[in-house]
Amino acid sequence: MAGLELLSDQGYRLDGRKATELRKVQARMGVFAQADGSAYIEQGNTKALAVVYGPHEMRGSRSRTLHDRAVINCQYSMATFSTAERKRRPHGDRKSTEMSLHLKQTFEAAVMTQLYPRSQIDIYVKVLQADGGNYSVCVNAATLAVIDAGIPMRDYVCACTVGFVDETPLADLCFAEESGGGSSLALALLPRGGQIALLQMDARLHQDHLEALMEAAMTACKGVSKVLDEVVRQHLQEVSVLTGE
Amino acid sequence: MRDTPLSNCERDFLLKAIEEKKRLDGRQTYDYRNIKITFGTDYGCCFVDLGKTRVMAQVSCELVTPKESRPNEGIMFFNLELSPMASPAFELGRSSELLVKLNRQLERCLRNSKCIDTESLCVVSGEKVWQIRVDVHMLNHDGNLMDATSIAAIAALSHFKRPDVGIQGDEVTVYSPEERDPIALSIYHMPICVSFSFFQQGTYLLVDPCEREERVMDGLLMIAMNKHREICSIQSSGGIMLLKEQVLRCSKIASVKVSEITDLITKALENDKKARKEGRKCGFAESMPQERITALKTYETSVEMTDLTKQASDIVESAHARAEIALSPVLPAPGMGQVGTGLQNAWGLEDEDDEDDDDDEDGDEPEVTIVAEKRGNKEKRERPVVIISDSEEEEVVILNPESS
Amino acid sequence: MATVQLSEAEKVYVLHGIRDDLRVDGRSCEDYRHMEIETDVVSNTDGSAKVTLGHTAVLVGIKAEMGKPRPAQPAEGYLEFFVDCSANATPEFEGRGGEELGTELTNTLYRVFNNKRSVDLASLCISPGEHCWLLYVDVLLLQCDGNLYDGISIAIKAALFNTKLPKVLISEGEEGGTEIELSDDPYDSVRLSVDNVPCIVTLCKVGPRHVVDATLQEKACSVASLIMAVTPAGTCTCMRKVGGGSLDPESFFEMTEAGRRVGRALHGPLMALLSQEEALGQKRQKVGFLG
Repeated sequence: MAGLELLSDQGYRLDGRKATELRKVQARMGVFAQADGSAYIEQGNTKALAVVYGPHEMRGSRSRTLHDRAVINCQYSMATFSTAERKRRPHGDRKSTEMSLHLKQTFEAAVMTQLYPRSQIDIYVKVLQADGGNYSVCVNAATLAVIDAGIPMRDYVCACTVGFVDETPLADLCFAEESGGGSSLALALLPRGGQIALLQMDARLHQDHLEALMEAAMTACKGVSKVLDEVVRQHLQEVSVLTGE
Repeated sequence: MRDTPLSNCERDFLLKAIEEKKRLDGRQTYDYRNIKITFGTDYGCCFVDLGKTRVMAQVSCELVTPKESRPNEGIMFFNLELSPMASPAFELGRSSELLVKLNRQLERCLRNSKCIDTESLCVVSGEKVWQIRVDVHMLNHDGNLMDATSIAAIAALSHFKRPDVGIQGDEVTVYSPEERDPIALSIYHMPICVSFSFFQQGTYLLVDPCEREERVMDGLLMIAMNKHREICSIQSSGGIMLLKEQVLRCSKIASVKVSEITDLITKALENDKKARKEGRKCGFAESMPQERITALKTYETSVEMTDLTKQASDIVESAHARAEIALSPVLPAPGMGQVGTGLQNAWGLEDEDDEDDDDDEDGDEPEVTIVAEKRGNKEKRERPVVIISDSEEEEVVILNPESS
Repeated sequence: MATVQLSEAEKVYVLHGIRDDLRVDGRSCEDYRHMEIETDVVSNTDGSAKVTLGHTAVLVGIKAEMGKPRPAQPAEGYLEFFVDCSANATPEFEGRGGEELGTELTNTLYRVFNNKRSVDLASLCISPGEHCWLLYVDVLLLQCDGNLYDGISIAIKAALFNTKLPKVLISEGEEGGTEIELSDDPYDSVRLSVDNVPCIVTLCKVGPRHVVDATLQEKACSVASLIMAVTPAGTCTCMRKVGGGSLDPESFFEMTEAGRRVGRALHGPLMALLSQEEALGQKRQKVGFLG
């Protein structure tokens, strides 16, 4: 593990957080005027923008139209300067294609697509600065953007990445912890029902630890959902003041 | 070409069957289909049959310069091909969503779990390392490609042997297999992927879904594990909502399945090794039954017959009821059916007759079928070639009217 | 670009307004829209800037890498441009949809910036013929509402102003070769001179007159526009005509004059703003997209 101590004896992590502590989450909805919904989120040093267009008529090939619900179309891309080493292409490689698929899957589960048959909802996320937990941050940003667009969802979708070091689950990994080689689990949760919209885990972990890790991830997701809820409420308040209601 | 769409009737039928805890091929919910692992004559070539799903994996290696960030580690490369041969829905040369999903899952399952000692693949640090390339080709698609792929890939990797190299000063010599025995890869553990499909918003769960079941499922959960009960990767896909308990239950089932499959792979590897040692013929060609037309091979399906009697009588009863309602059955000309409002369906009438017959020998009917089946088996065993030629003739009979 | 469709009546309204030097949003013909600039928004770049011009939003990140100078210019570093028209701006840019516009913008940026008269390329050289700084200038389009060129060029100038290159120490190595050492201290850095960096001014010919900083609506009414790169001294380093229509020589002369005037007027407040922001130093509250 490259000689890095991810969890000190006193129970502190590299950036001084405790094992279950999240990074600072700051978010704002309605960043852009042209899109139907947009949001920006900062989770520690990971920063992401999400934009939602739709629901609108199907674009491009109409063969993808679903007669009973809306098609969710996602694109995940990373700014070329977002990582420490410059990326050559913002999107289109295997990893981002996979990430787009995962986002699509997550939001197909959460958005009430049956309300918009024969239409399409575009969700585009862009990572401006990557510092671990990219998937989770993108999901959180996209959730806010979908809410901003006024598209009904079953619940907030909150995602969090957790790791497992020294028999202790670590919540909300940063890049150093993610690349440290331990196992990491990304989980997207609909907190109210405790339903998991996406679950992804890498690296080896004994089966017996799975429960503890998932439990930690779910707690972390619930923490995130509280923050997101606050952001939404505050945004609504600001908007209603502006419109004079 | 696009897939033939699944009709609503078929969809409802499949879902209803699953609700009744029945599967089309008579398996139980947690059963795998038959797994057959065969190896080619070359090292690192493996065919896996999972029911009718068939994949081939081929491992190859070459000397390359390592990545700058990891100068003394070999490189693993995974490549999947979905050829149109496997399913008409697959198109060549286009990376579909399915392909990306399978490929990334295989990478995660085998590379990220560090099941292969990549450091042992280093020849000269920073200059020459072995790149191990795993090509997996789908030959036939009947569902659960991921599990078949992961089994084929890990079996092929375990079977593979790379040429030995010698270093003298700055010179690197690659020895041919005649000069020095090739070396097997060092494999720490065997991650195997187990897929669970969910139906009806996660109410029902099936292991190893076949193609039909995959089409009606809500979503999939893939768990890769090794026999030490270590989870190597988890991935959910499709818009399903899982509960924590479900995931934990799946992981328990997966651990059982994985140990079974691992045993199977080890056994297959041992058999192959023994065959090679004894100088017997080995390889893919050997595993094919000879002088047989494989395409006409029928798969036996075990049929559940416990409540057959009751069902038959149920059908008969309902058929009777229908006959009574019929107003004035118009008798059609022999061999002709007439369907329309107010008319009795002639086909139905014929059926009814058959069922009446069934009704007579109601009690001993199941036994009769079993006997017949046994007889059939015996015949098959005695003269397999004859039977196949018989069925070929039948095929011709069916085909003729269509072509004319 | 979010396509704007204008009816004939709307077009006439816009045209008449411009004829009377009163545009739809109340500006006169040579006014820019409200502009916001913030530098140092992405922390893992060497320099970055975010510019919003009306609804147009651009983010520029500059990453410096050590490279080998080009054989033709051994004593100069060089710049690499990349414009990412992201799907955030409009769904049409999804997949490869934004590539065409991206390449067009990239090519123009090369012509405007990648020469020693615009950027002090000699200062990017570390040791002639062997090592130089290579600046990757990555432009990210977040929202398009007309006048992309001006927005991008202002953002690039701000990001170049913000770029801090670590100091390089060159010493004789033990075996005769040179050893290069980068300073670890983030404050021990070199700044680029942006004195000659031009800004692009786009002039849109609408009816008989031309306007600066056209919105999408106004662009829909114009037949051709002129792109000029103007340095603070008022010299024009690059000029291009874009659009399907034609410009007659007389109006062409008028437009270049106006472009120079506007360009020179643009640099003053821009530099003042940038140094004012710089002066705030560490105390500055970073807003980014949260503001």
